[in-house]
Amino acid sequence: MKTVSSLLDSHWHDRYRRISRLNIRSSIYDVTDRCNLRCKGCFFFSSNEHQAASEEKDVPRWHAFVESEMARGVNLAILIGGEPTLCPDRIEAFYRRLPTFCATNGIVKVDRSRFPDLMVGISLWGDAADEIVLRGKDTFAISSANYAGDPNAYYLYTITPKQLGKIENNIRRIKDVGLKVHMQLLSNDEGVDGFSWRPDELAAVRAEMDQMLDSYPETVVSSKYYHRIITTGTMCGRAFGWMECPSVTDPLDKRDPRPKRLANFIRWASDLKTMHRCCTSETRDCSTCKDGAAHMSWVMVNKRAHMASSESLQNWIEVYEMFAKLYRFIPW
Amino acid sequence: MTSDLERTTRRIAEIIIDELKLEDVTPDTFDADLDLVDEVGIDSMDLATIALVIRDEFGIRIDEDDYPKLTTLRIIGEYIADKRSDGE
Repeated sequence: MKTVSSLLDSHWHDRYRRISRLNIRSSIYDVTDRCNLRCKGCFFFSSNEHQAASEEKDVPRWHAFVESEMARGVNLAILIGGEPTLCPDRIEAFYRRLPTFCATNGIVKVDRSRFPDLMVGISLWGDAADEIVLRGKDTFAISSANYAGDPNAYYLYTITPKQLGKIENNIRRIKDVGLKVHMQLLSNDEGVDGFSWRPDELAAVRAEMDQMLDSYPETVVSSKYYHRIITTGTMCGRAFGWMECPSVTDPLDKRDPRPKRLANFIRWASDLKTMHRCCTSETRDCSTCKDGAAHMSWVMVNKRAHMASSESLQNWIEVYEMFAKLYRFIPW
Repeated sequence: MTSDLERTTRRIAEIIIDELKLEDVTPDTFDADLDLVDEVGIDSMDLATIALVIRDEFGIRIDEDDYPKLTTLRIIGEYIADKRSDGE
């Protein structure tokens, strides 16, 4: 029988043991329908999810809701929006009780006296020119001033085709402000001209992402297997898409056969009642989805599929470690 | 003579092999003391799937909080035996 120890030497087996029992149960929460930016390509607005529900404004109800989420086994709250930092009282409802990750554009600085170790992921969509085209302003100038050297913050760099050949400049400026970075790819939900990926561009960006990981291992939190998965959309000979995605809201998941998926996962709207279809846009074509977390999760829930060889299982371990680091279940 | 526990353990091996589509092991060669997470590589979703089959077949409910304890075939067999003797 092919066992983990038959595939791994002691070094890799120790790494495996460090993550094998983490049992991460995440769900995603729209904290608010409002944002202080309107980015082209932001799925929340392009798919009208900001109009799907009217946000719950009563803070005690947020506290009660988080209690009910814990009761159904959630042990990681991922806060998105809108812009969560516009509603710190709602953030606090999660932060007091659960490991909590807050996605933000970094324009508003999280109050570190109130949330000293809240993990913050700051979105970045490229260099100043691309950020101005897509987001209306150079957010890095503001976010880097807000979070420079913060040990509980990192950049979520969404790479666009326009960034080919320019990724290193962004990695370097993130390094220079003392932060780490995780890379993902833009899904061009609003069809902005020139921002959709062509196959040759995906091959080129994979090579560039690999090079960044080699050149900046202390700054880049990633793995080459993740780069392969997200640029090819394939894993273990299977293609990513609706019938494979692990990040579909559980009570809405009527797929048959049911794929390997995240246990009890729900993406909640800000009314705390409405559920969105999945971790990203309801209107997105799943066959072209480039969502980084969904692809990471796709790997993570398919552990046994990666037990075909030592290399394959090591790839799985690296992706799981990456996820666990990004959500601080293990140290950097 | 085969005990109830051995029969239960063998049946759990059959369930796991069937549900997880394990191709390189049989109920006869499945080591009852092999760690299912650390060695076989099953995860909590796999355990949830197996728990549903056990519930239907043995008429017992496995609490999700108990999953981390159910580390081997033998331990699952003993867990089922305990639950059944409690009259669940």
